[in-house]
Amino acid sequence: MLSGTVTRSDMSGLSLLLRAARAAFPAGARQLRTGGLRSAYAKELFLGKLEKEVFPYPEVSNEELEEINQFVGPVEKFFSEEVDSKKIDQDAKIPPETLKGLKNLGLFGMQIPEEYGGLGLSNTMYARLGEIISLDGSVAVTLAAHQAIGLKGILIFGTDEQKAKYLPKLASGEHIAAFCLTEPGSGSDAASIQTRATMSEDGKSFLLNGSKIWISNGGLADIFTVFARTEIVDKDGAKKDKITAFVVERAFGGVTNGKPEDKLGIRGSNTCEVHFENTKVPVENVIGEVGGGFKVAMNILNSGRFSMGSASAGMIKKLIEMTAEYACTRKQFNKKLSDFGLIQEKFTIMAVKAYVMESMAYLTAGMMDRPGVPDCSIEAAMVKVFSSEGAWICVSEALQVLGGLGYMKEYPYERYLRDSRILLIFEGTNEILRMYIALTGMQYAGKILTGKIKEMKKGNVNVALEIFVNKFRDSMGRKVDLGLVGKDGVAHPSLEESGKKLEENIYYFGTTVEGLLRRFGKTIVDEQLVLKRVADISINMYAMTAAISRASRSISIGLRNHDHEVLLTNIFCTEAYFKNNYAMTELEKYSAENLDDSIKKVAQQVLEKRAYICSHPLERTV
Amino acid sequence: MNCVRKLLLAREFSAGRGVLRQAAPGRDLPWLQGSSCGQRFWLVPVRSIRSGAALSRFELVPSARGDKEKDRGPRDGSLVPLDELFELAHEGDRNKAAFSRALELFCQRDVRRRGHVEFINIALRKMPEFGVERELDVYNKILDVFPKEVFVPRNYIQRMFNHYPRQQECGIRVLEQMESYGITPNKQTKFLLLQIFGEKSHPVRKYRRLMYWFPKFKHVNPYPVPAALPRDPVDLARISLQRIAADLSAKVTVYQMPLVDISDAGKEITQPHIVGIQSPDQQEILAHHNPSRPVFVEGPFPLWLKKTCVYYYVLRGELLPPEEKEEVIDSERNFFYPMHLDLDLDRGPWDDEEFDVDEAVEGPIFAMCMAGAGDQATLAKWILGLQQTNPILSQTPVVFHLTPGPRELQAGSDSASGEEEIPQSWHAKQEL
Repeated sequence: MLSGTVTRSDMSGLSLLLRAARAAFPAGARQLRTGGLRSAYAKELFLGKLEKEVFPYPEVSNEELEEINQFVGPVEKFFSEEVDSKKIDQDAKIPPETLKGLKNLGLFGMQIPEEYGGLGLSNTMYARLGEIISLDGSVAVTLAAHQAIGLKGILIFGTDEQKAKYLPKLASGEHIAAFCLTEPGSGSDAASIQTRATMSEDGKSFLLNGSKIWISNGGLADIFTVFARTEIVDKDGAKKDKITAFVVERAFGGVTNGKPEDKLGIRGSNTCEVHFENTKVPVENVIGEVGGGFKVAMNILNSGRFSMGSASAGMIKKLIEMTAEYACTRKQFNKKLSDFGLIQEKFTIMAVKAYVMESMAYLTAGMMDRPGVPDCSIEAAMVKVFSSEGAWICVSEALQVLGGLGYMKEYPYERYLRDSRILLIFEGTNEILRMYIALTGMQYAGKILTGKIKEMKKGNVNVALEIFVNKFRDSMGRKVDLGLVGKDGVAHPSLEESGKKLEENIYYFGTTVEGLLRRFGKTIVDEQLVLKRVADISINMYAMTAAISRASRSISIGLRNHDHEVLLTNIFCTEAYFKNNYAMTELEKYSAENLDDSIKKVAQQVLEKRAYICSHPLERTV
Repeated sequence: MNCVRKLLLAREFSAGRGVLRQAAPGRDLPWLQGSSCGQRFWLVPVRSIRSGAALSRFELVPSARGDKEKDRGPRDGSLVPLDELFELAHEGDRNKAAFSRALELFCQRDVRRRGHVEFINIALRKMPEFGVERELDVYNKILDVFPKEVFVPRNYIQRMFNHYPRQQECGIRVLEQMESYGITPNKQTKFLLLQIFGEKSHPVRKYRRLMYWFPKFKHVNPYPVPAALPRDPVDLARISLQRIAADLSAKVTVYQMPLVDISDAGKEITQPHIVGIQSPDQQEILAHHNPSRPVFVEGPFPLWLKKTCVYYYVLRGELLPPEEKEEVIDSERNFFYPMHLDLDLDRGPWDDEEFDVDEAVEGPIFAMCMAGAGDQATLAKWILGLQQTNPILSQTPVVFHLTPGPRELQAGSDSASGEEEIPQSWHAKQEL
C-alpha cells in the first residue's frame, strides 16, 4: 500500500514508522469532503435555532487518539530540536535540512490519502498536528500554502489521472505546490483577473500568459494551481470570459518567479511573483471543468481555513508557558509579577482565548469529519476570524507581560507578534470573511423567512399578531428554552448559567435577523456595518457553543482540571453575552442612533480630502 | 474778514506746533502723557498705543526723505484743501508709502486735527486708488488721525446720548470699509477705538461685532480660492481645472505651452496654451465608450475665481440609452462572499435615507481643458493629445459644438494685435 505509489529514495525510518503506525489502524471517516447541501450549525443560528448536533462534543476513538499521539511525539521533537526559528526568521529562508526533515516526517502530505502516499489524516488529526507546526510561523505557512490551498484543487476536484500523476510526489514533498490566484489588480475580484489561457488550434492545450503576485512558495514550487481567464461559448452561443483552474508544472516552461519579497513576519516562507509566459498547459490539466474555476477557487479557499484555530491555540499555549515562567520568577517591590492583578488578568485572557479557539477548532474539525457531506465553510470562517484576532491580542498581551524584554530581538516574542499579524490578512481578510459569514447566514435565513415577512408586509393580521405577541412576551422577560440546559438539556448543569445566556442570545439573534431582513431585504448587502455586527454576534455564539459543548463533555467524562474549563467557559460566555446584547441593541436602532451615520460621514469627509482634516489645535482665526 | 485772518493765524500757529512736534519725534507729547495719567483703567492699552503712535511716526517719514519732508512741512501745511494732501503726498507712484505720507501731512499741520472727519472720509475714498484698501495697518493709521480722549464720554448723560455722533459715525465708516474688504481688525484697532471713543461707544461695539463674526466666517468656504491667483495662464488653468474636477486623482496635462515666436519669414507665430485634466475614472468610462457614438467638445463655459473669469471646454458623451447602462453583477465575481442576495425582499421605508431628488441625468464627461484660444484647431490639438492616453478616441468621431463665447464682444476693440490680445484677455479677464 505504501510502496506501491511512493517512489522515494530518501524515506527515513521515522517516516516509515509513522506510516506503519498509520496503516495499522483502520481508516476512519477520512476522506476529504467539501461542498454540500446539509445545513450546519451556524446557519441555524440565524433562524434563532439551536441545532443540537454539536452536542456532545465530537470525540475520536481510542485507536485514533493513540494514532494521533504517535504522530505528535516525533513532530514535537523535531520542532523543538531541529527547527531554529530565530535563524529562519533572520535568514528569511528555511534551511534545506529542515525542509528535508519535514518531508521525512510526511508533513507535506498530511491530508493526501494513503493510496497516494500521504498520511491520509482526518481533519481532526490535521488540526492536532497544526498545533505543533504553528510553533514556527514560516514553516506553518509553507506547509499550509502547499497543502491547504496549493494542492487542494487536485485533491478535491482532480481526476483520478491527475491525482495519480501529481499527488504522490506532492505527498513526499519532492514537489512543492503553490496557489496562484492574486494578481496586481485582483484580490478577490474575479473580473479583474488578467492572466489569460488561450486554447491552441488543435484544442489540445492552453497557452497561459500573465503574472501573479504574493504567491506563497512561488519560488520553491514545482506545481502551481493557476486561475486564468478563458473564453467560453455559453449555451446561447455568446462568447464569454470565465475563470478556469489549471495544474501547471514548472517543467512546462515559461514559468519564472521574482525574487522573494521581504516581509514583516513569516519571513522564512517564500513569497514572490510568478510569471507565466506562453506556458503550454495540456487540456488534461484543467481542474474541474473549463470555465468552472470560480467554484474551484471558492471551495479551496473555504476548506483551507479551519486549521488556523488549532494553530493559533498551539502558539498561545506555548506563549503562556513562556510568559508564565517569566512572571513567576521576576520580582518587583518584593512581589512576583504573577501576584499583580493586572498581570493575572492577562494570563486569564490568554487562557480563555486559547481554550475557546481550541474548542472551536476541534468542534469544526469534528463536524467536518462526520460522515455525509457537511458544509462547514461558515464555521471554518468563524474559526479563522476568531482565532486570528484572538492570537493577535494574546501575543500582544504576552509581550506586555514581558515589558521591555518582549520588545527585544534577542527574545522570540517580537517574532511571534510579527508572525501572527498575517493571520488577520491571508486566506481572506477578516473583513471579507465577516461579510461571508453574515451574508451566507442572511441568505439562508432570508430564504426561509421571506414568506413570513411578505405576509406581514402585505398586512396579514395573523402573522402580524403573532409577531406582536412574540414581541410582547419578549418585553415581559421571556424564558427562552431551546433545550440546551434544564431538564432535558444537553449541556452539563454546572454550565447552566452560560447555557441560558447562549440560549437567550440565540433566540434574540433570530428575531434580530428577522428584523434586519424586514428592514433591509436584499439591500443588506450594502450595509457592511450592520453585517459586521451580525457576523460578530454569530461568531461569539458559535464560540460559546463550542466552549459549553467541550466543557460539558469534560465534566461528564471527568477529564483532568475540568473545573478550570468551567471557569473559562463561564468567563467567556458572560463576556460574549454582554457584547452580543450590546451589538443586538445597536442593530435594533436606526443608523442615526447607532452612530453608523456619523461613522460613515467622518470617513467620507476624511476620504474626500484624503487627509486628516481638523485644524491644528494651535491654529487661530484672529 | 478779521475773523478769517484770526483763523488763518491760528492755523499757522498750529502748523508751527506741528513742526515742534516733528522736531522731537518719538518723544511723548504733553496731551498724550496727560491722558495716559487720566486713564486709570487701561494703562496697558494706552501705553501700547503710545508706543504704536510713536512707531508709526517713524514709519511715516521714510528716513531717506526725512529732511525734505521737514522742509516742506510748514510750507504746505495750512492752506491746502484736504483732497490735495493726497496729491501732494505722492510723487510718482500711488502706493502705501505715499498714502501714509498724506496721513502724516495731515497730522502734522494741526495738533487739533481740525477737519479730521472730512479728511478721514476722503482718505477712505482714496484707499483703492492707492491700492491700500486691504492694508490693516493703514486703517489703523487712519484711526490714529482721530484726536484721542476728546470723544470719550465722561458722565452718564453723555454716555446715554450719542456723544459726538459725527465722529462716531466716521469711526464706524472706517470699520465698515474694513468689513466690506474683509479685513479683520486687530488689537491695535481696538486700543485706538477705546482711546478715541471709549468703551461702550458705537465704533467699539461695531468692532466687537466684527470680531465676533469675522473669525467664524474665515473658513466658511470649503473650497477657498487662493488669495492671489497665479499670473501665468498655465498655472491659472491648472488650479481652475483641479477645482472643477474635484477629484484628487485627476491628472493635469499641459498639452501645449504658450509661445510667441517670430518665424524666419518675420511673421509672428503665437501658440496658445492647452491644459487638460482627466481622472482615471473618466479614462475608464471613455475606454468603455462605444466608438460608434460620437463624443462632443463643448464650450466655452465660464468659471469665476473671485474677480477673474476663465473659460473651459468639456469633452462629453451622449446620454446612454437605458439598455446599455445596466451593469449586471456577475454571480461569479467575488471569490470570498456573495455580492448580492437572492431574496425577494426590499428595503423598508424607514431605512430609506435617500432624499427624493429629481435628477436631470446627463451624459458622461470624459475630460476638460482650458486653452489660450477657443478655435477648433486649438481644441483639436487637445483631442490629439488625449488620444495618447485614450486610444479609443482615435476611432471615435469627435463633434465640436463651440459657442462663439465672449470673443464676439471684444472682437472689434483692437484689430492690430487682435490675434494674441483677444484670446488672452477673455481667457483670463480681470475685472475690478
